[in-house]
Amino acid sequence: MIARLLILLARIWQIGPSRILPPTCRYAPSCSEYAIQAVRKYGAIKGSWLAGKRLMRCHPWGGSGYDPVP
Amino acid sequence: MDDKKNIILAVLLTALILFGWPYISNRFFPAANPPATKIEGGKTTPVAQPGADPAADSPAAIRDRALVLRESPRVPIRTPKLTGSINLKGARIDDIVLPTYRETIAKDSPAVRLFSPRGTVDAYFAGFGWQGEGIKAPDGNTVWTAEGTELTPTSPVTLRWNNGAGQTFEIRYSVDQNYMITAQQKVSNSGAGTVGIKSYGYVSRMGIPKDPDTWTIHVGPMGVFNGAANYDVNYKDLDKGPATQSFQSTGGWLGFTDKYWLSALVPDQKASVAGQFRKGAGTQYQADYSLAPVMLAPGKAITQTSRLFVGAKEVKTLEAYQDAGVPLFDRAIDWGWFYWFEKPIFALLHWLFEHIGNFGVAIICLTFIVRALMFPVAQRQFASMAAMRAVQPKMKALQERYKDDKPKLQQEMMELYKREKVNPLAGCLPIFIQIPIFFALYKVLMLTIEMRHQPFVLWIKDLSAPDPLHILNLFGLLDFTPPAFLGIGVLALLLGISMYFQFKLNPAQMDPMQQQVFAIMPWMMMFIMAPFAAGLLVYWITNNCLSMAQQWFLYKRHPQLSAVEAK
Repeated sequence: MIARLLILLARIWQIGPSRILPPTCRYAPSCSEYAIQAVRKYGAIKGSWLAGKRLMRCHPWGGSGYDPVP
Repeated sequence: MDDKKNIILAVLLTALILFGWPYISNRFFPAANPPATKIEGGKTTPVAQPGADPAADSPAAIRDRALVLRESPRVPIRTPKLTGSINLKGARIDDIVLPTYRETIAKDSPAVRLFSPRGTVDAYFAGFGWQGEGIKAPDGNTVWTAEGTELTPTSPVTLRWNNGAGQTFEIRYSVDQNYMITAQQKVSNSGAGTVGIKSYGYVSRMGIPKDPDTWTIHVGPMGVFNGAANYDVNYKDLDKGPATQSFQSTGGWLGFTDKYWLSALVPDQKASVAGQFRKGAGTQYQADYSLAPVMLAPGKAITQTSRLFVGAKEVKTLEAYQDAGVPLFDRAIDWGWFYWFEKPIFALLHWLFEHIGNFGVAIICLTFIVRALMFPVAQRQFASMAAMRAVQPKMKALQERYKDDKPKLQQEMMELYKREKVNPLAGCLPIFIQIPIFFALYKVLMLTIEMRHQPFVLWIKDLSAPDPLHILNLFGLLDFTPPAFLGIGVLALLLGISMYFQFKLNPAQMDPMQQQVFAIMPWMMMFIMAPFAAGLLVYWITNNCLSMAQQWFLYKRHPQLSAVEAK
C-alpha cells in the first residue's frame, strides 16, 4: 500500500517536474526509476532506504554511470 | 509528426495549467495575504450559548461595539503591546486591541482588534471561572468588584465576588510586557460545610475568521496535548461531526489560531486537564479546559494559576514563552513538515532584516547566501563539463557505433562516464535540496507576522501580499481589477523575462520536446507565480539573475565551453 503510494509519487515526479527541469541525473537508470524498481523489489522500507542512498550519491562529487538496483 | 504531437501536448498542458492552476493554488497554496480587513463585516448572527457551557449567559443582538463597551463596568488594560479592558460583568477579557499592528497598510488604518465583547460583530473573548457542586458559582452575569484601577505590567488587578453563602471568589489578573495574561483563581470557603469546586478557562468566538484554512496553513482550533501539537480540528469538523471534541492532557495549551493571531489558554502545566473544542448554537466556537474538581473544607482556600495568551504570533515571543515552560508554544505557527528547515531559514532572514532594516533587501541577501552555498556545485559541474571535452572523441565514436540502438548507446555512454570519471550533470541531490529551501521560504513568507506589511521599494508596500501593480489595467490607470489568472504584475513579468534568459544560458543539452517546454515555461510561470506573495517573487527573480551571473562567470573561466555552446 505504502509502496504503491511511493511508486505513484515517483511516477508523478517523472511525468511532472522531471520532464520540465533540465536533465540532471548522473546515473542510469535515473534516480526516480531506481526508486521505483527498488521499492518494487524490496518493499517500501528497504526500497526507500536504497533510493535515499542513491539520491545521496547523485551529486557532482558522487559517482556516475550504470548503477542498477542490487 | 512527433513534433506536432508535442506542440499540441504543450499547448494543452499550458491551457490546463493556466486555467486549472488558480483553482488548485487557491485550494492548496494560499498565494498571499489579502489586504487585511476583518473589521465590521457584519455577517455574524446572535446566538444563545448552550446551557452546559461554562460561559453561558443570555443571547444578545449585534450592536455597536462602542455602545456595548460603555454599558458595563470595566477596568482598562494598558501595556506596550495590548490595550483594552476587562469586563467586570462576567470577569471577561473581551476587549483587546494590538496597538503595534494595523489592519491594513493605509496610514490611518486602525489597530488590529482581536477581542470584542459578546453581542458585537466578531465577538471573541476569554475568561476564567468555576463550576460548583451545591454552591453558587459566579456566572456570566456576575458583577465583580475590582481592586486596582488599571491592568499594566506593573499593576495587577484583583476581581472579587462573594456569593453570599460563605464562599469568596478571586481572580487576580496580571500581565507581562508581551501578550501573556496570568490569572490566579482563588476560592476561600468560610462557610459551614465542605464544597466541591472545579475551575475552568475558556475562549469563545463568533463566526469563522476570514483567514482560510488550507493544506499548508492551519487556521482554527488548535492545542498541544500531552506534548504533541494538534492541528486536526477544523471549524468545519465541529460544524459537521460531533459538536464537541475532547482531549485529556497533562499540561499543554489550547485555543484558536488565526494566520497571525492566537488566543490560547495555558493551564497549570502539572495539572491534569480536560480540554475541549466545541460548537455552540449558530457560529459560536469555544475552546475550554477544566481542572479536576477539588473538595474545599470549611476555612480552607485554594489558588490555581492559569494563563491566557492573546496576541500576535511573533516567532521570538512564542519561543520565549516556550523556553519559560509553555510546551511546544512555537508550534502555534503551523510550520509543517519542514519545521527543522524553516526555523533556521527564518532565523537567518530575520537576523538579516534586523541588520538591514528592509525585508525585501533581506530576502535578496538570503538568496545570495543560498546561491553562494550552492556555488561549488555549479563550479564542479562546469569543471566536469570542461573535462568532457577531453573525452569528446570517444563519445563521437560511441555515437557512431550505436546510432541505431539508443538504449545501448545510453548505457555505453554511462559506462564511458564512469571509466573516465566525468559527468556533465550535477545530479539529483542539488535539485532535491532546493525544493525544501523554496518551500520553506514560501512558508516563512506566508506564515510569519514579521513579514506582514513589510515594504520593499517603490510600489511594493507589503511583501506578503501579491504585487498590486497590474499590467492589464495599465498599472491602475484603467479602473478595473483584472481577473485573478490574468493579474500579472510587474514582478511576475520580470520573473518571466529573467527565467527566459536564464534558460537560454542553460548549459544542459535537451531534446526537442524539452526545448519546447522550456520556450513556454517562463511565460507559464509568469501566470502561475503572479498571485503569490511579492516576497517570493523577489526571491525567485534574484535567484534567476544570480544564476545568470554565475553562468556568465563560469563560462568566462572555461572559455572552451562557450565555443561548444555556440555551435
